[in-house]
Amino acid sequence: MFKRSDESLIAKALNGDQHAWQQLVNRHQSALFYFGLRLLGSREDANDLLQDVLLVLCRNLGQYRGDSSFKSWLFGIANYRAMDMLRRRKYSDNDDELAEMPADAPGMPEQLANDRQQKQVQQQLRSLPLEQRLVLELKFYQQFTFDEIASQLAISSNTVKSRFYAALDKLRLQLEDDHVEQSANF
Amino acid sequence: MSNNQQIFEDWLDGKITAEQCAMQLQHDPQWYARLQNTLALQADAKAPRFEPVPEFDSSALFAKQWQRPKLQRSWWPQLSLALSCAAMLISLSPAKFQLQDGSLTLSWHNSQSEINRAVGTALLAYQKEQQQWLVQQLDTQQQSTNSQLVLLKDYLQDELKRDQRSDMLQLVEYLNQQRQADWQYWQENYQPMQAGYRPASSYYSPTNTGVVKP
Repeated sequence: MFKRSDESLIAKALNGDQHAWQQLVNRHQSALFYFGLRLLGSREDANDLLQDVLLVLCRNLGQYRGDSSFKSWLFGIANYRAMDMLRRRKYSDNDDELAEMPADAPGMPEQLANDRQQKQVQQQLRSLPLEQRLVLELKFYQQFTFDEIASQLAISSNTVKSRFYAALDKLRLQLEDDHVEQSANF
Repeated sequence: MSNNQQIFEDWLDGKITAEQCAMQLQHDPQWYARLQNTLALQADAKAPRFEPVPEFDSSALFAKQWQRPKLQRSWWPQLSLALSCAAMLISLSPAKFQLQDGSLTLSWHNSQSEINRAVGTALLAYQKEQQQWLVQQLDTQQQSTNSQLVLLKDYLQDELKRDQRSDMLQLVEYLNQQRQADWQYWQENYQPMQAGYRPASSYYSPTNTGVVKP
């Protein structure tokens, strides 16, 4: 089926087409919610972030000029709002919140293994400083280029790369620690 | 930028495969570990998420921000105006629609010559009608005159006959009166004289029933 581009949906939405708006929201709300969930650590915060970003998007939809991709522009808003929320709520790494996340679909052993692996990766990501975690999130989970991330965060591309490699190095150290712990358990 | 970093970023950009990257970085533990961590993150990013996305109805938000009440637009005035313009164009243009024998035909004509021809035809028809009317009037007049003349002739003949009869009666009466007067005059003046000259028996003697011979 023919898929309309984000730009054409925006143009229609600006003319009052609610169906186009709903299509646009449906296309990006999952990514936004999971972005918030990984970055903020709880469903409530992720939901708040999603609503907040959609509210800002709705109000500022007419300001999108098409200089970058719509997703990049949208995540520019999401980054700013997420950082703002984290600063205001003095977010602290609390593994209890992550542990509160439901175990999802029951049953399948592969799925349980995936869940365990995901939790492990998420826990390691959450131990990173916020700026570094944000860069990894945007690079791997949202598939943005270094230049797009730099544009969204209003920093240079070199700074992005610096944060990226620093995050990878910290992650490496932790993974090594995990391996040591797992080896010790055995 | 180091060579290993270049290799690593080439892999991130999809220019080389993970196997090629691992082969080239396997001698540098730092970069190889970065590669492994990146692979783990990519695997996690590709893993399906089962966390349900909360329902959030943004319709009201959108409606409040961008939707305006639709104008109650009626197409009848536009339709009426369009039909009026079409009728005006058809009436002003030489185009002529004609419905005849169940078929609609569009023809072009010169309106002035058409009008002149129509006026000429109408005048000719009027002239013929007037001529027929005059002929009828003349016939009627003539018949009426003839009948009146016949009536007059009959009347005159009757009157003439009546006059003639009356004259004859008057004449006869006059003659009778004259004869009566002559007879009386004769009796009074000449009969005694005649009686003196001849015997009475030798004369005709008039009586009430006729003349008596002697």
